Amino acid sequence: MPSLKDIKTQINSVGSTKKITSAMKMVAASKLRRSQEKAEAARPYSSRLEEMLSSLATSASSGEGIIKLLTGTGEDQNYIVVPVSADRGLCGGFNSSINRETFKLVKKLKSENKKVQLLPIGKKSRDFFLRTLKENITDSFIDTNVSSAGYNIALEISAKLQSLYFEGKFDKCILVYNKFKSAISQEVTQQQLIPLDISNKNNEDKSNETESSNKAIYTYEPDEETILQDLLPKNVSIQIFKVLLESDAGEQGARMAAMDNATRNAGEMIDSLTLKYNRTRQAFITKELIEIISGAESI
Amino acid sequence: MAKISFDLVSPENLIFNDEVGMIIVPGKDGDIGVLPGHSKLISSLRSGRVMVYGENKDLLKSFFVSGGFAEVNPEKCIVLGETVEEMNSLDKNSIEKEIQELQNKDTDESKQQILIANAKIEALNASFYEKI
Repeated sequence: MPSLKDIKTQINSVGSTKKITSAMKMVAASKLRRSQEKAEAARPYSSRLEEMLSSLATSASSGEGIIKLLTGTGEDQNYIVVPVSADRGLCGGFNSSINRETFKLVKKLKSENKKVQLLPIGKKSRDFFLRTLKENITDSFIDTNVSSAGYNIALEISAKLQSLYFEGKFDKCILVYNKFKSAISQEVTQQQLIPLDISNKNNEDKSNETESSNKAIYTYEPDEETILQDLLPKNVSIQIFKVLLESDAGEQGARMAAMDNATRNAGEMIDSLTLKYNRTRQAFITKELIEIISGAESI
Repeated sequence: MAKISFDLVSPENLIFNDEVGMIIVPGKDGDIGVLPGHSKLISSLRSGRVMVYGENKDLLKSFFVSGGFAEVNPEKCIVLGETVEEMNSLDKNSIEKEIQELQNKDTDESKQQILIANAKIEALNASFYEKI
């Protein structure tokens, strides 16, 4: 039977854990608000860009050079998968769900005899794939810290991807990331980044209609092709930026939920330990009383 | 006089959003003046100044954008800038210093940055459209 002192130390240590988790929860909550604001602020740009792109997309015939970002290489053999995770843990299933999903995707692609490369973003997924699929890793980005570094980090990643693409290192690029649904729920999402997948954004028939009507009205300067050549690389960066921001907000949300849970569990544990403490104390007192009384009786 | 709504957006946030009298944007093939009722237009931009005027053609604000896009329709003008800075916040000396540092490096990236920095200097020196 544990002594009273043992239980007391246990209560104290659970108590300090609780303090830490509740502090982390508070920090995550304020960071979440900031990340959400950032994601919100980035929305007008990306939605405008998408609109412009969809109105221009029909004018692209299969071509050489930059247009390939839209039309693809015409092959379907080499894949690059980009899992986007956090740099730090203690955020529930946030990182492991990304890793699991990516792992499944890689396996599936491999079973279809495709060549797969990995370009993990974030320490947690990099470390995971260094352990499991080391030979597939092309490059990695860690300490992205998008909420302070901003757009530049997205530019860097997109430049890397595009240079690999135009060297012919891969035909398709798929991002795996946590989509921010609400403060407490994230959804693991796969998004095809290169070649641009317009069909998943709109209902294809509908978008085609609006595109053709838009095209008739707008004047393009210098001309559609030139604008498209500027627009496509920028779109890749913006998509990455958006994904990074969403993942950042998701991470804070996941951490907040995880820490909230931990705080609650610690509270429950303290309650049950306190109960145990009181019972033990009571038992000791009763035992002592019995000893005294039986001692007195025997005299 | 009529007004046109003007949005200036950078990837990180919405920088300017108001009703204005006229905007001049640095189109790739030359500057474009946008008045209310402008015909529909999509243009890509070079690095340069975006000038915002009030109803009486008084200069409200000027920004520096390093490339981007503009979308214009009769009621609205939207400029998507790659990076956006207010002209007042640019300092000629520090930009010149930056150029010198960049010239020592010889990478694709630094060449790009030199182009942008030169455009900044040019924009600072330019005095057209200050008064209309």
